[in-house]
Amino acid sequence: MSEVYVIGAGMIPFGRYPDQTPAQLGAQALLLALDDCGLAVPDVEAIYCGSTFNAASMIAQQVLKQIGQTGIQCINVSNACASGATAFREAYVAARSGLYDVVVAMGAEKNPKGMLQGVGASDGPNPESLFGSVSLPALFAEAGMEHAAKYGTSIEQFARVAVKNHHHSTMNPKAMYRRETPLDEVLASEMIAYPLTKLMCSANVDGAAACVLVSERKARELGLDRAVRVAGSALMSDPFQPRNPMLIDGNSVTRLAAAKAYEMAGIGPKDLDVVELHDCFATAEVLHYENLGLCGDGEGGAMIDSGETALGGAIPVNVSGGLLSKGHPIGATGVANIVEIIEHLRGEAGARQVDRARIGLAHVLGFGVGIGAACGVHILEKA
Amino acid sequence: MTARAAHKSIRVGDDGEAWIEAYRCDACGAVVGEPTLACRNCAIRAAPSAFRVAERGMLYSWTVVSRSYPGVVVPFVSAIVDLDDGPTMKGTLRDVDPDTLASGMPVAVRFDDAGGAVDKEGAAFVGFHFVPAGETL
Repeated sequence: MSEVYVIGAGMIPFGRYPDQTPAQLGAQALLLALDDCGLAVPDVEAIYCGSTFNAASMIAQQVLKQIGQTGIQCINVSNACASGATAFREAYVAARSGLYDVVVAMGAEKNPKGMLQGVGASDGPNPESLFGSVSLPALFAEAGMEHAAKYGTSIEQFARVAVKNHHHSTMNPKAMYRRETPLDEVLASEMIAYPLTKLMCSANVDGAAACVLVSERKARELGLDRAVRVAGSALMSDPFQPRNPMLIDGNSVTRLAAAKAYEMAGIGPKDLDVVELHDCFATAEVLHYENLGLCGDGEGGAMIDSGETALGGAIPVNVSGGLLSKGHPIGATGVANIVEIIEHLRGEAGARQVDRARIGLAHVLGFGVGIGAACGVHILEKA
Repeated sequence: MTARAAHKSIRVGDDGEAWIEAYRCDACGAVVGEPTLACRNCAIRAAPSAFRVAERGMLYSWTVVSRSYPGVVVPFVSAIVDLDDGPTMKGTLRDVDPDTLASGMPVAVRFDDAGGAVDKEGAAFVGFHFVPAGETL
């Protein structure tokens, strides 16, 4: 089996694009990724495109209609917030199998406006507020309160995740917020679902990102100077847990995927230099410190307090600004997180560059409310 | 006209009495909230058996929802409750001061009229919510 390298990576600035289609956004990201490695549309043999809200409309084919209808294999992927990571995983499998030398993993999304709805309508009364809440902030608030009940994690500790990630995004020209939000501002912003205030919820944006993955043979032919090796790849679904799905369980599935990816890469969490993880809500980041093994169980609150996960700390997390501040275009997020890691491993991340980054991890978690979960973990290493 | 269940776990008898149904695997004992072909936990090829669920349990986790979808009245407490004989349910916890909420607090199920909702034919709905349960219950 072939090793797999990422040689091209690109993303468009995250924000609102009222006058463009998701496919147009995706096409721009794909061209950026191709330009990044000096390849052209006819070089691409297959496209895997994640889009939670647009996969059913054959978005990859629509992308090719923007930039060149070469007749290649198009796979359209919807897997909730893990759609982009799923596209990357499938592109990786395709390149690793030896069937293809050049494949694209991409994600493109235009999010619906407002608070994203977790479930469809039923024929009875609206269940929201009759039977608790199915809003995504409420679900991640409940997961945070489980952690708080077990370990004493405070609202201030969860809020510090938002302070950190909004600070990071001031150094990312492609991020949505790019504004400092001190702790008192985060705590004073509108309460959505305790302990989550508005500034502790991800930024609802449009966006697109793309990566060009190649076989080892192709990578050597093109040169490995800026190539990044995919050292570990795992995509898992939620295993049985007695409270699932009443209490969302992003913990078990993340632990499964992380264990698999670490084993495949032959490394452990201590070997990581930079991490992009799925901070859809500030509570989630604290939980994932533990799920990814960055600290021990119950130590997530202390970890954010210590500053270790800020730029300049021992293990910087979400230096891009994360979903909280860079933004979360649902189906594009999984690819965008990988693009961010690649920029650091290449030393091309500008003001937010993590010093001497050699190995990075990108984590993404998708939920269908009351239905299931998907988690992608990818470990990337400078070639 | 018999009232209709407003939640997939509620059953309503011919006499109008409501209860909550869950399903337990006869092999491994795992409990789930909906019928399945085989056990979600141990994958044994036998459908878990339906049973009537205890109407009291303990609060496991919660949040106070201060903003929801347009038109939804806030605030309310969204509660995750471990019922005494196995299943975990999500519901709204009423008649409680949010500042006193704590994991492990005893709660009871109360059936209700689902906010007074009726369907197209005029049939009422049956819902449920949680209330704090004293040690006397």
